[in-house]
Amino acid sequence: MELGDFLKGATEIGKAMGVTLKHLGKKPVTVEFPHEDIPIYPRFRGRHELRRYANGLERCIGCCLCEAACPTEAIYVEAAENDPDSPLSPGERHAKVYELNLLRCVFCGDCEEACPTEAIVLGHDFAMANYERKDFVLTKEELLNPGMPKVIIRPE
Amino acid sequence: MTDNVTLTINEKEVSVPARTLLVDAARMAGIEIPVFCSHPKLDPVGCCRMCLVEVDGPRGTAMMASCTMPVGDGMVVRTNTEQVQTVQEANLAFILLNHPLDCPICDKGGECPLQDQTMRFGPGISQLIEPKRLAKKHYDISDTIVLDQERCVLCWRCIRYLEEWEDKPQLGLFERGNETIVDIQDGRPVDAKTGGNIIDLCPVGALTNRVSRFAYRPWEIERTPSVCMHCSVGCNVRLDSRTHQLRRIVGRENMQVNDQWICDKGRFAHAWVNDENRLAAPLLRKNGKLTPVQWNEALAYIADRITGIKEKYGADSIGAIGSGKISNESNYALQRFMRTVVGTNNIDHRDGGEVAALPTGLPALAELMKPQYGPDPQVDTVLLFGVDPSEELPILDLHLKRGILRGGVKLIIAHARKIELTRYDGPYLAYLPGGESLLLDRLIQAVQGPGMSEDESSIQTAAKLLKESENALIVYGPMAARGDDGPSVRDGLEQLAQAAGEGTRLAYAGLDGNAQGCRDMGVLPDRLPGQFPLEDASARTRLEGLWGCSISSSPGYTYKQMLDSQEMRALFVNGANPAAESPDWSASLEELELLVVTDLLPTETAQKANVVLPALGWAESDGTYTNLERRVQRAPKAVSDPKSRAAPDWMMLTHLAKQMGASWPFSDARSVTAEIARAVPAYAGLTWEALGDQGLQWDAGSAPATESSGGRTSERMPELAADNAEFPLNLVTGTVLYDGGTLFSLTDQMHGMAHGATVTLNPVDAAEFGLDPGSAVTVQSEQGQLDLTVGIDVQVQTGTAWIPESLPGAPVGALLNGSYIQRVKVEKR
Repeated sequence: MELGDFLKGATEIGKAMGVTLKHLGKKPVTVEFPHEDIPIYPRFRGRHELRRYANGLERCIGCCLCEAACPTEAIYVEAAENDPDSPLSPGERHAKVYELNLLRCVFCGDCEEACPTEAIVLGHDFAMANYERKDFVLTKEELLNPGMPKVIIRPE
Repeated sequence: MTDNVTLTINEKEVSVPARTLLVDAARMAGIEIPVFCSHPKLDPVGCCRMCLVEVDGPRGTAMMASCTMPVGDGMVVRTNTEQVQTVQEANLAFILLNHPLDCPICDKGGECPLQDQTMRFGPGISQLIEPKRLAKKHYDISDTIVLDQERCVLCWRCIRYLEEWEDKPQLGLFERGNETIVDIQDGRPVDAKTGGNIIDLCPVGALTNRVSRFAYRPWEIERTPSVCMHCSVGCNVRLDSRTHQLRRIVGRENMQVNDQWICDKGRFAHAWVNDENRLAAPLLRKNGKLTPVQWNEALAYIADRITGIKEKYGADSIGAIGSGKISNESNYALQRFMRTVVGTNNIDHRDGGEVAALPTGLPALAELMKPQYGPDPQVDTVLLFGVDPSEELPILDLHLKRGILRGGVKLIIAHARKIELTRYDGPYLAYLPGGESLLLDRLIQAVQGPGMSEDESSIQTAAKLLKESENALIVYGPMAARGDDGPSVRDGLEQLAQAAGEGTRLAYAGLDGNAQGCRDMGVLPDRLPGQFPLEDASARTRLEGLWGCSISSSPGYTYKQMLDSQEMRALFVNGANPAAESPDWSASLEELELLVVTDLLPTETAQKANVVLPALGWAESDGTYTNLERRVQRAPKAVSDPKSRAAPDWMMLTHLAKQMGASWPFSDARSVTAEIARAVPAYAGLTWEALGDQGLQWDAGSAPATESSGGRTSERMPELAADNAEFPLNLVTGTVLYDGGTLFSLTDQMHGMAHGATVTLNPVDAAEFGLDPGSAVTVQSEQGQLDLTVGIDVQVQTGTAWIPESLPGAPVGALLNGSYIQRVKVEKR
């Protein structure tokens, strides 16, 4: 009985040591964040941004559908009429106010799906710590000028 | 009596009155048929083909438009077959051919019948690959309505509304086939006073609201059922609000009051609710400047000063001016404060004690509305005496027009101006301001005179119509019965109503939103709540019991007397602006020792005040309002500005009364409403809950009778008979819908619609004085002068000059200076 136990223990230790030895020669997975970048998958959903067309016009038309789709009421949109001489967006309507409360957002991406012009997208920026509560409410200016613009639009 | 017919819809037996349309019969049976052009309030036209259903006929089954087809006995109808579904899909695909996919930027999105029906009955996929037809997008067909021709589905609803209800065919269809578009006629904007209703009627986003453009989304607004306060009709509206702001007003159906229509002023002129200049804190004059203070400080100051003035000069040196624009609760609290805490009857409102009114208002608006849905004998002749519904009560105007067009109502108009309604057949009786009694004398003589007269003059025609009518209604307004001449005009009208026969009724229509309620609450110098005269000892005893104090039985000063009198030392002004009405009053307000103004905005009067108290408007606090047919309706709180410290009038008066030693049992507006129900017998049982969404009309039988002023002196000469060479024209004034009033002028989009600062003359007079339209003139009376431009209109009688009240920047008060009748001269500047 005792010998059996001993042998079993020795096998288990051997197995465990095998795992250790296997990984001993490999590169570590730990990333020295923030000194090092971490890989982000293309469909990662991070901090939001509002996109523009190539001609500089805002994609957002202030339709408020993202606001309606948002399950946590994190988005607040106030629409207004475009000045025909200097429009902000194509068509008659633009977003006068676009605010997004990151403390409420659950990064579900429903706003992206609801958007008829692919104006709001969730980007790759995830480092969103701040010192003041009010700084978690992103204004339209901040959303239009993200630090790390996102290029890929999710296919769905 | 209509017979019922029985038909089968979807294997279900349905019994409906004969001549019902198939689409309505299906709705009664709970079966939905999709429609675009069909509308219960408009005549059927059958142009959208959305409502096709299968009807069994002698030659087999046929697809019929259910919105134009009356039911027949034994008819067999099916709405759920494959054939019907195919047709519905095809029809929707056809309607959507040229409909742009604008939904995200369209204001109708979310409450759009086309969206809803596409989701429910549509094919789900479009076969169109060609480019869509392009037409004019977002172009203004009036200052308040935007048209998008691309979105239009050609249902004719807007065209039919303007033709059938407004009788102003200002929209039409142009071009043919695929190119058909709806447009205004020759570039002339839609100027119908209730034109905004076509926005509510439009089943797509072709017609949208210019004022509320992009300010709301249907799924994010709060909807509060309320009533409109711009005039005394009291139309039912819905207030759409979001983030403490009033975003939009739409009509709400009340078949007793406004059907489902509201006028453009009620729909669009609401910017004042959220105006940035709204008073938000109590202001106290310190070192000559109005400074924001805490409520306690302001109220303590008023209490202290009022007590002092009362001790020094007596209670009758203190007065209060209420308003037909504020709620029953606020008016009631104001008169209770004056009568019990101050101890005086110096309480009145504009068009209050100065006007010889009748206590009960119109019999019922619904009686005027009934003819719209077929001839009805309840009212067959209407005499408008000094009322211009088109400018003063637009929805009454709509009812009257419908009555004339559909119900065979005959119209007689007596007015100082040839008002818009004179375009309908019927005698027009002109008079000069002050000449009302004279006209009435002649009219009564004609009515009492021998039957058939050969004379075809309009007075004879009017008399004949009145005599022949079985159910005539005579409506008069404050303009006709103001001042010293008022009682004699009222008595004349009563005499006329008697002479015209049994079925004739006489009604007084106040103009302000709560004009009737103001009278009911006893905001009158000689009347107690319930409109009981002060001399009525039993009414006084009852109120003394309720209030626990004694009430003075000597009548107080009227509105005009309070402002003219030198004896007044302190004045409360709630929701009125006398300083803008007359230069003399403006000066006398400055002489007061204490002026307390309670208002929404810093008016001219508020600028002169010692204390300004910020009030809440009708959209921001619970309140009840009584319309011109005595219907008490409630307006619940819809919005509130979190940064504002404003309070409802009754609440500040309750606190003020407490400061002065009286304890009132008011904790909220509903408790004031409850006390009103006890103080005013006619309001018994009219609690907040009982009023509901449609309001309740109080019984005219419970009103105290009007006192007769003891025999009418028909020989009495009107004030203004003698010609005056120096001042050749009679000044005619009155209310216009789009004036320069504070509540209207704050809506920027409507500035272009406002009546300009003009004096309008008859072409004959203009030619005599050598004036062209637009020339700059000075209008002078004995009281003062005004700089205006000239307008020319045949609506204005010869020998008169028409200057409406409260024009932007040109108060006609400078010429009248508190009087009602003036002669003027017009000279080039």
